[in-house]
Amino acid sequence: MANELLFFMEVLVGGLLAGTMYSLVALGFVLIFKASATFNFSQGAMVFFSVLAFCGFMQDFNIPFVLAFILAAFLMVVVGLCTERLVLRPLMNASEDTVLMATIGLGYVLEGLAQAAWGVEVRRLDLGIGDFPVPWIADNLKLFISALDITAGLVAAIMIIGLFLLFKYTKIGLGLRAVADDAGAASSIGIPLKHIMLLVWSAAGVVALVAGCMWGARAGVQFALVDLALKALPVLIIGGFSSIPGAIIGGLIIGAVEKILEVYIGPFFGGAIEGWAPYVLAIFFLLYRPEGLFGEKIIRRV
Amino acid sequence: MSDNSVNILDIKNIEVMYDNVILALHDVSLKVPKGKVVALLGANGAGKSTTLKAVSTMLASERGKVTKGSIDYDGNLIEKQNPSQMVGLGMVQVLEGRRCFGHLTVEENIISGAYSRKLSKGDIDQELEKIYTYFLRLKERRKSQAAFTSGGEQQMIAVARAMMAKPKMLLLDEPTMGLAPQLVAEIFNIVKELNQKEGVSILLAEQNTNIALKNSDYGYIIETGKVMLEGTAQSLLNNDKVKELYLGISKKGRKNFRDVLKEESLNKKIN
Repeated sequence: MANELLFFMEVLVGGLLAGTMYSLVALGFVLIFKASATFNFSQGAMVFFSVLAFCGFMQDFNIPFVLAFILAAFLMVVVGLCTERLVLRPLMNASEDTVLMATIGLGYVLEGLAQAAWGVEVRRLDLGIGDFPVPWIADNLKLFISALDITAGLVAAIMIIGLFLLFKYTKIGLGLRAVADDAGAASSIGIPLKHIMLLVWSAAGVVALVAGCMWGARAGVQFALVDLALKALPVLIIGGFSSIPGAIIGGLIIGAVEKILEVYIGPFFGGAIEGWAPYVLAIFFLLYRPEGLFGEKIIRRV
Repeated sequence: MSDNSVNILDIKNIEVMYDNVILALHDVSLKVPKGKVVALLGANGAGKSTTLKAVSTMLASERGKVTKGSIDYDGNLIEKQNPSQMVGLGMVQVLEGRRCFGHLTVEENIISGAYSRKLSKGDIDQELEKIYTYFLRLKERRKSQAAFTSGGEQQMIAVARAMMAKPKMLLLDEPTMGLAPQLVAEIFNIVKELNQKEGVSILLAEQNTNIALKNSDYGYIIETGKVMLEGTAQSLLNNDKVKELYLGISKKGRKNFRDVLKEESLNKKIN
């Protein structure tokens, strides 16, 4: 009995920590959704692009780890800059649907650029953190939990706190929330939309890089990262598209639920249900709570 | 140059097109003297909002363009500026329909108006206190989410937010739309006070002809994109045409649409 409970705990904690990896990807989506009310389909490509560049800097140019990370982050700021100038600004008066389509196109451009620059083979990314159980925890708590999962959890927590403080207490955060509510009114009182867009896309780029590092270390830096990022979709539906805490909680729920279902219910379906179980959960949310757990309620005065 | 010292805003014969085909303004000229309140009156679709947006350069975001004429604001020719540059020059527009940031608190809304200014936390608090002296009602509700405040309060938020940018000139687009008469009076009192104590020049677009003229120095009446009539507020209030068309008062006394229809049907029967 005690063993079963321990096993359940292990599945749960492993799932929760794996969920923070989804949260990291979902964060990038939330940032852009807040500012431009658009689902950024190129977020997956940004993850792939950024981490491949990071690997490329380290492996092809022998640039040290920290410097390569800074360079890759800087590259994502440049990508944000180009996106604002070449894609968003010309589409300033276009509908949200048009911008959505543009992000799909942007995704293909980034995927193509990344592969043209760094090649198509799968790269190994070694962060110096192994994807194996931490001995101390295994000895003392009898739980087998991956060091990479714990790191991802910590990194996610730090980024959430950082972004929360940025939005709540800084001037640019206030500007961003104002733009998210009503871009026209924000511009009428002198909040420069292009600065806000630039900030948001750059921040989303850096978040993509961090998420890419975590995923890349686990699954290898490869094209599949683009599709993996779409796992963030059910996370966002559950958490709410415009909420940073929602992205985190949504990620945790997806991570935990898919692992528990996989272990306990999976065998009845012949296994591998973690691929689609999150989407089923998302459908229930769409039916009964479409704004998600933490999404901003659509406020209507009557 | 001497003209600029008198008029903070000088619009000369502007024509505005939307989407390169829809002619919204044919020929609008108007002046706002420094420190005065000027009313821009007219019915729906007459071109009031378009005129204000041409001045604040908000037109560009609606695919509109000034195709003829010139706008001179405080010695600057307005051509390629964007709205945030205009705010930097001291010109702020309060958009039609209040447009508060619904998810932000009342106070965050007001502070966001100071975005274009480089102020320390202490300066912002000081400015905030000053603004609250004009909008006492908002101080009580400073922590509420703006979306849950009343229409009148939202209009006050919009004006207070604009005032945080420390404007030399305010463009108010139908500030009393949809408000109860008591609130209309309250809003106008605040506008008048801001004009007198802060020395802000005001260009006010309104459909509420009577109260707008009573609180202005000068008025322009536009119809289908053209200035039809202009004059001091007093002269417009006493003008027979204005009385009949915009104030609903004819020489015979009050007149409304139903009376006109009655008269017509009577005339038909006689014929």
